[in-house]
Amino acid sequence: MANRETGNVLARFNVGDRVRVKDLPNLFYSRTQMYVRGVSGVIASRTYQSLVPEDEAWNRDEAQPQQFYIVRFRQKDLWEEYPFDNDTLQTELPEGWLEPATD
Amino acid sequence: MPSRIDLRRLYDTGAQLAPAVHQPQNWPYEVPHDRFEAYMWPPHDVAGQADIPVRYEEKEEEEWELKTYVTCEVLGWKGIWNAEERRRRGNNDLGLSLYYGFPYYGRWIWAAARMLVDKNHVSLTELLEKIAEVRARYGKS
Repeated sequence: MANRETGNVLARFNVGDRVRVKDLPNLFYSRTQMYVRGVSGVIASRTYQSLVPEDEAWNRDEAQPQQFYIVRFRQKDLWEEYPFDNDTLQTELPEGWLEPATD
Repeated sequence: MPSRIDLRRLYDTGAQLAPAVHQPQNWPYEVPHDRFEAYMWPPHDVAGQADIPVRYEEKEEEEWELKTYVTCEVLGWKGIWNAEERRRRGNNDLGLSLYYGFPYYGRWIWAAARMLVDKNHVSLTELLEKIAEVRARYGKS
C-alpha cells in the first residue's frame, strides 16, 4: 500500500502552507512522533497518497488513502533548549494529522 | 524443565525488567497522568529520549537476521500480512521493556510468530512443539 505515487485524492495543503500537527491521544499505534504534536511547521513537499498507518496496521485496505506531506519544523520549536536558530527538522505526516496553523 | 537455580535466575531477571518507577497497582493505586501518558506511548517512537553517545559500527547482518527479514517480506508477498505497518504494530505490542530489550530483528520475528498464531495459520501448541523439536535437534533443552 505504501509508496503509491499517484493518488486521486484532492490534496488539502500546498507547499509553503503553515500547518499544525493534531495532538490526538495515544492508543495502540501511531507513527506521528510525540515531539511534533501540537507544533506548527511548513509544508515542504507533497509526497504520495497512501493508507494512513492507523488503517494499514489493521489491514483496512478499503479505507480512503490520504495525501502525505513532508513538514518542516524549526528545531527550536521542537526542543526548547536547542541552541541554533536556523536549523530545521523534516518529517512525513499524513493529511489527517494536520490542520491549518493559526499561530 | 529449567533447574531450580535457572528458575530463580529467570524470576530475578524478570523482576528487573519491571519499570524502574514501580509501585504495586493493585489497591490502593494512583497513576499520575504523566505516567499514564508514558505507558500509552508507542515504544517505537524513540526520538527525543535522553541517551548517552553511542559508537557507530558498520555491521553485517547475521544469518538469522537476514532470514527474519526475508520471512517477513515473503509473508507480505503471500498476502498474510502487510510487512510494514502490520509488522510495526506487532513490534510495538511487545511493550516497552521487551521492545527496548530485544534486538531489532528480534522484534520482527516475535511479531511474525504472533501474527501467524493470531490468524490461525499455526496453533500455539504446534509452534511450541516445533521449536522444541528444533532445539532438541541442536542438542539444546
